[in-house]
Amino acid sequence: MTPVADSSRRSALSAQDVSLCYGRRGSSRTILQNVSLEVRSEEIVCVIGPSGCGKTTLLRLLAGLIAPSAGEVAFRGAPITRPRRELAVVFQDYTKALLPWRTVTDNIALALESRRVPRHEHQTLIDPLLRQVGLDRHADFFPAQLSGGLQQRLQIARCLAQQPSVLLMDEPFGALDAMTREVLQDEIMRLSVASRTTIFFITHDVEEAIYLGDRVVALAPNPGRIAEIMDIDLPRPRNQLTTRETPSFLRCRHHLRELLYTLAA
Amino acid sequence: MTRLPRGLALPIAALIAWETSGRTLFQPTDTLTRPSAMAAALVQAGMDGSLVQATAETLAGAAIGFLIASVLGTAAGIVLGSSRILGGVAGPTVELLRPIPAVALIPLGLLIFGFGVRMEVMTVAFACLWPVMTVASAAVKGIDPRLIEVSRTLEIGRLEQALKFILPSIFPRLFVGLRLAAGVALVVAVTVEIAANPQGLGYRLILAQQNLRPDLAFGLLTWIGCLGWVLNRGLVGVERRYFWRFAPAKRNA
Amino acid sequence: MKADRLVIAAGAGLFLLVLLGAVQAIAELRVVSPVFFPSPLRIAEALYRQVAAGSIWSPLAQTCARMLSGWLLAVALGIFVGAVIGSSANLASYLDPTLEFLRTLPASAVMPIFILCMGLTPQMIVSVISFGALWPVLLGSLHGFRSVEPRLLEVADTLELGRFDRLVKIEIPNAVPDILSGMRVSLAFALILSVVAEMLASVEGLGNNVLLASRSFRTSDLYAGILVLGVVGALTTAALGALERRLLRWR
Repeated sequence: MTPVADSSRRSALSAQDVSLCYGRRGSSRTILQNVSLEVRSEEIVCVIGPSGCGKTTLLRLLAGLIAPSAGEVAFRGAPITRPRRELAVVFQDYTKALLPWRTVTDNIALALESRRVPRHEHQTLIDPLLRQVGLDRHADFFPAQLSGGLQQRLQIARCLAQQPSVLLMDEPFGALDAMTREVLQDEIMRLSVASRTTIFFITHDVEEAIYLGDRVVALAPNPGRIAEIMDIDLPRPRNQLTTRETPSFLRCRHHLRELLYTLAA
Repeated sequence: MTRLPRGLALPIAALIAWETSGRTLFQPTDTLTRPSAMAAALVQAGMDGSLVQATAETLAGAAIGFLIASVLGTAAGIVLGSSRILGGVAGPTVELLRPIPAVALIPLGLLIFGFGVRMEVMTVAFACLWPVMTVASAAVKGIDPRLIEVSRTLEIGRLEQALKFILPSIFPRLFVGLRLAAGVALVVAVTVEIAANPQGLGYRLILAQQNLRPDLAFGLLTWIGCLGWVLNRGLVGVERRYFWRFAPAKRNA
Repeated sequence: MKADRLVIAAGAGLFLLVLLGAVQAIAELRVVSPVFFPSPLRIAEALYRQVAAGSIWSPLAQTCARMLSGWLLAVALGIFVGAVIGSSANLASYLDPTLEFLRTLPASAVMPIFILCMGLTPQMIVSVISFGALWPVLLGSLHGFRSVEPRLLEVADTLELGRFDRLVKIEIPNAVPDILSGMRVSLAFALILSVVAEMLASVEGLGNNVLLASRSFRTSDLYAGILVLGVVGALTTAALGALERRLLRWR
């Protein structure tokens, strides 16, 4: 059954007429201009766009890492003034987001420590997470001993340990090989349903965006603004083999790729 | 540009504070002095020629020792770095000699050469030898293997290979090592003069201390500090000017 | 590969023996005057004599005590001050040029100043050793605390970590490698300064031993003393190196 985009569902994240400019009077650069977007609870929203369109900036605004020059970003209706545990961020440069001096287990434990979970409960919480992302055989490894794919999985595991209501992911699978990417895509969707997490997902891969998303937001560059928000009416649960070959998938893909070509021009 | 004035704020403020307290809180004594007295003592030493002579002596000792160490260290480093066997065989011997503090050789230098520039040169050379050798060896090991292959296909002799391929390839990294070694040379030269050798800036410093001339002592200390700083800055400048072109190539490799 | 390494190790041992043998031969043949260049056997003999008579231990202990106490003081102060300066970008930018200048200052050059102000006392010696050994560890600590990966700080933000947690869980572990390497250099400085101080102040110690041996032309004792100093240098560096490897397994 297709879950209808239910407008009565709570808003998880919203951006209202948000703009971001850099620079002083005279020579200012507008990174984002009048972006309005609402991410509803338990939704998966994917963002695509050519380079320079401000995708990462938008994510950082929604995460509370930077403040907008104009407009407002809100989490569950309340304005976002600073980062919070419920808005977990999976950074694109995963290696830099891990503590190199802690093992895989201890890196995940950092999130538990921040939630003040007692030490004796850590292992029971970490073990299922390790299994979920496929790191159960690497529990005592250091990040430097892991491949890129495993490091990214570790970051995801740590974010999950935060028990966030929203997962903000910045091109998380960009540097991974195709197989790992597909496994993790399915894992993300499974997770979104199981723990009822809202997902905001940036990617440069149009097919990935359509495969994962309930909606796809296409941004135009210079300055960054919303070109189109497209509903993805594909049934769930989705399947790597079958879903990607359905006519609706191909229609969406054609439309978005055409859009991206015109935007990049 | 705002960084420079910021950094100078502290030294200037400190100097002013020192000078004013030197005029109000305490009077110059056998052990205390103030910046104006330091400057005056330095100027006087400059005018009567003692500063120039001492500086020349120190720089001579440092420079000659540095040159000897650079040539020997580079040659040894290249040889040991390019052959795994030679490097492995000579390695432990090097590791036994390297930890010896150069200052421990001062009495030996005194024994063999007596006072004078030669014992200073010997100590400086020993101190600078190891860093240069280490850097040269590491630099050789870091040469792009393709370059070595090219030199082999040209079938040139070992010496020619060293001069035309190895030396130019390692020169940027080597230069960094040489820059550091130059700093070491100056420090060791001054140390030798303080500990034993009756010539140069270090000796003048000890004399100032023995004659209870804090103004001259602090002045000389500042002078030595400035020498080292100028030397380092100058070499960094040379490095930036001539070796920047090597950096981008390495990044693309 | 293992056999390869064994061969090289054997070769190294052989090389050393051959070298010693050659040196011994040169000394025996009196190619160079034995006053300047005694045979390795004589040096070993002198060393054995010193150990057997027990005359080596007190100077050794004195030098090591001086070196270690000066070093520990420098390390404690250096780590703390480096942490304070490193945590504040503002403070760091004010102090940068001054620290840059002080870094290139020969530590031994401040010794006459210290002697002037404090006289040839044990406190002066420990003070000057601490002062000289301070800079490598201070600069290392400073660099370590300044160089925290910004992304990690953002992770700390999203996890809502408090100031204390940030310091203990991120800033300090990040600074440890730089601090350790600074400590290693500091220890080498401390040894050098101890030796120089002993020579200047004529107090008991390995440096003084070597100087006295030189003055009385006891060449074998001189070389033996140099060797002992080399061993002290090697052992201390190795000990710190082992500590470094243990603490930095994660690299």
